[in-house]
Amino acid sequence: MTTPDAAAAAERGLLEIRGLVKRFGGVTAVNALDMTVRAGDVHALIGPNGSGKTTTLNVISGLYRADGGSVAFDGHELAGRPAHAIAALGIGRTFQNIRLFGELSVLENVMIGRHVRTKTGFLGALFPGGATAREERATRDRARELLAFVRLDAARSQTARSLPYGDQRRVEIARALAAEPRLLLLDEPAAGMNPAETDALVVLLRRIRELGTTLLLIEHDMNLVMTVSDRITVLNFGQHIAEGGPAEVARNPDVITAYLGGTLDAA
Amino acid sequence: MNRRVLALIVLIVAVALIPAVVHSDYILTLCVTAGIYAIVVMGLGILLGFTGQMSLAQAAFFGIGAYTSGWLTTHLGWPVWPAMACAMAMSALVALAVGYPCLRLSGHYLALATIGFGIIAQLVLINWKDVTNGSDGMTGIPAPVIGPWTFEHYNSYFYIVLVAVLACAYVAWRIKTTRVGRALEAIRENEIAARATGIDATRYKIIAFVFAGAYAGLAGSLLAHTTKFLSPDSYSFDQSVVFLVMLIVGGSSSIGGAILGAVLLEFLPEVLRPLKSSYIMVYGAAVVVMIIFMPRGLVGLFESLRARWRRGAPPPLGAAAAAEAEAA
Amino acid sequence: MMHFDPVANLQLLVSGLAIGSIYALVALGFVLIYNAVGVVNFAQGEFVMFPAYIAATFALPAVAVFGGVVHWQLPLIAVYLLVIVLMVGFGLLFNRIAYYPLRDRGWLPVVISTIGVSIFLRNLVQLTWGSQPLVLPPLFPVDTIAVGALHIRPQDLAIIGVTALLIAFQYVLFERTTLGKQMRATAQDRTTARLIGIRVGRIVAITFVYSALLGTVSGLLVAPLFTVTKEMGALIALKAFAASIVGGFGSIPGAIIGGLTIGVIETFGGFYVSSAYVDAIAFVILIGVLLVRPSGLFGERVAEKA
Repeated sequence: MTTPDAAAAAERGLLEIRGLVKRFGGVTAVNALDMTVRAGDVHALIGPNGSGKTTTLNVISGLYRADGGSVAFDGHELAGRPAHAIAALGIGRTFQNIRLFGELSVLENVMIGRHVRTKTGFLGALFPGGATAREERATRDRARELLAFVRLDAARSQTARSLPYGDQRRVEIARALAAEPRLLLLDEPAAGMNPAETDALVVLLRRIRELGTTLLLIEHDMNLVMTVSDRITVLNFGQHIAEGGPAEVARNPDVITAYLGGTLDAA
Repeated sequence: MNRRVLALIVLIVAVALIPAVVHSDYILTLCVTAGIYAIVVMGLGILLGFTGQMSLAQAAFFGIGAYTSGWLTTHLGWPVWPAMACAMAMSALVALAVGYPCLRLSGHYLALATIGFGIIAQLVLINWKDVTNGSDGMTGIPAPVIGPWTFEHYNSYFYIVLVAVLACAYVAWRIKTTRVGRALEAIRENEIAARATGIDATRYKIIAFVFAGAYAGLAGSLLAHTTKFLSPDSYSFDQSVVFLVMLIVGGSSSIGGAILGAVLLEFLPEVLRPLKSSYIMVYGAAVVVMIIFMPRGLVGLFESLRARWRRGAPPPLGAAAAAEAEAA
Repeated sequence: MMHFDPVANLQLLVSGLAIGSIYALVALGFVLIYNAVGVVNFAQGEFVMFPAYIAATFALPAVAVFGGVVHWQLPLIAVYLLVIVLMVGFGLLFNRIAYYPLRDRGWLPVVISTIGVSIFLRNLVQLTWGSQPLVLPPLFPVDTIAVGALHIRPQDLAIIGVTALLIAFQYVLFERTTLGKQMRATAQDRTTARLIGIRVGRIVAITFVYSALLGTVSGLLVAPLFTVTKEMGALIALKAFAASIVGGFGSIPGAIIGGLTIGVIETFGGFYVSSAYVDAIAFVILIGVLLVRPSGLFGERVAEKA
């Protein structure tokens, strides 16, 4: 059932980071980071503030250019590619400070998420043939499906900005899912959520995982991380200090030191 | 939906009847000029309103279109229609050449680059006397001809401009309501998120810039063949600012707003004529007041008034979490 | 085109540095406001033009105001002091009206607002003083003075001298005084500045006032060189804006070097290459810089935060 290629793909990680370096002026935010994310996992990236987590995500998604090392997604090297090309390869993301298209409606936000899966261009816009109209309808339908998936279909006509914070987060996730990504990067999805909202988020994350999407999330909420993750990578000072299953990582003395002892101040 | 379309048709018919009803040449001139400006402002609306990119060079493309069309018809004897098409193409090409390097830059850099380009363009129009005749102006530009009819007077030219306005509005509307328009608006709302969502922001910004230039070029050509005289003094940075003000006053992300702004600010000086030269101060003050209290322009104001009239109830807050809790 | 004439070239250099100093001062005004609030002030040219008009009203024996004529001539020192006081008020008013209500709305509304103020002021000036240009009396009794073999305008030397003093003053202000450090902190990171107790609103207002004063000095220095018209600030400001980008937008030394560079190249270019296109030179340089090295001479690439 599995071809030799598929077997090889299963062997290597979906996302393989080797020796990644990113500097900002004098500060080395990511310092020769190695990390492997396996396909189908919910993989958490944790660490004290300033340990380079968001920077790593930004390099993966193409918003920052790496200063060294490599990021391979399903065998494709990502370094040097612009963000929109990386999105087209199948990586989606959400942001720590929610980045929705505020003045547009919730539905439009998710429809825009379909951008890489659709192709009507300026010519198609000017000459409204059947194909354009069909694609437009399909985009709208798919967006509504996704909104239903995150339980927000009722809010579809509201402007994105007007939604409460937790709902905005879900719209952002729906938008990212609209591109049918193989890998979804989530930057602190539970930030600012109360326990009830966090529980709802866990349910949502599990349902996304059931779709076959690999998740890489940055989180500070340890309960969430322990509950939902298959694997965890712990960062400190831009390097990984532990990687493995939740129980394994929780017992790791380096991790305990990083969080509780020694270096308490954020870099 | 259907009521809106009906209202639009009624409006278009009413406008089309203006030359039959109004006999003052002066008012018809204003109407034609307003229509021509509306096209420039709609172009700016695609670039600034939809995509959020500032350009203060619309007057330059306006001038390029006008002089290209004027030159082709007076110096090469071309008929008007191909000259008009060529003028539009020329403006679009220059916009591409300017936009390609400049739209890699953001906000202020782009604004200043467009200002710089605009100033250089005007200086070229003033100093390239062989082609433009400089400050003495280009004269003798012919009127367009279709079969046996020559569109010499404002009351017939009115219809050419009307058709052009409608065509440009249609194109802008089609852009706005499809995938392309959504991508442009995404860029305006949050460029980083747009890029992360797979939108090649630089490419779309350049295309929007080219559309703005093409619209302005078409408008310039229309102006050339109606006024039949061109002076480089009209294509200044100040004129670009006027176009910007028209867009802001009308409502920047709305096509109707662009048209409204152009019409209003073209007719306003007439209404304010008693105030003499201080009416331009009203412009300036109006811009500040509007941007503070009515950032979506007049169209935005109408829309929020209408929304308040309707008073629909939004879905309850936290809808998603509640629904999730129920399902779990 | 012509044989190298050291005398002529040195004279051009002095002229170039003089106009370049004006560009530098105005560019500084741009950069300071931009650093403090992240917005380009499109009314900066009017910060130059408006004080020139006020100065002219009190420096000339007879001035046409609102159609009538006034004779409000004061001694020059008094005029300068009066203008400075009025422009401080102007800076505060500008901050309150054009910037403050829009401070949370992103850069585009503020840019548009400053454009509105610019239009308003230019036409207010026309309404008040009419369209006739005003001619300020020269500051110095002689047109040129001889320095060795060179004939140099004393006004040019004054401009260069005052600018140098002002830059030195600014250096001391920013590096050595608490206020200056607060201004720099606010410019670097407003949120953190607020957290450590800096009253950001006040600092922003002071920044606008200081920028207005920079414009005032420029206007007072340059007015005797040209006539005072409602358009005098516009082109200067645009070129100064270009200069600040050439120097590296956001960089203070960049603004100064950029201004001087453009002033000198423009003066030489106007003389040797073409006087018709002299105004284009600054913008050709600008576009060249934007294409090749948009961060300018001293600017840094800023990475965006996600």
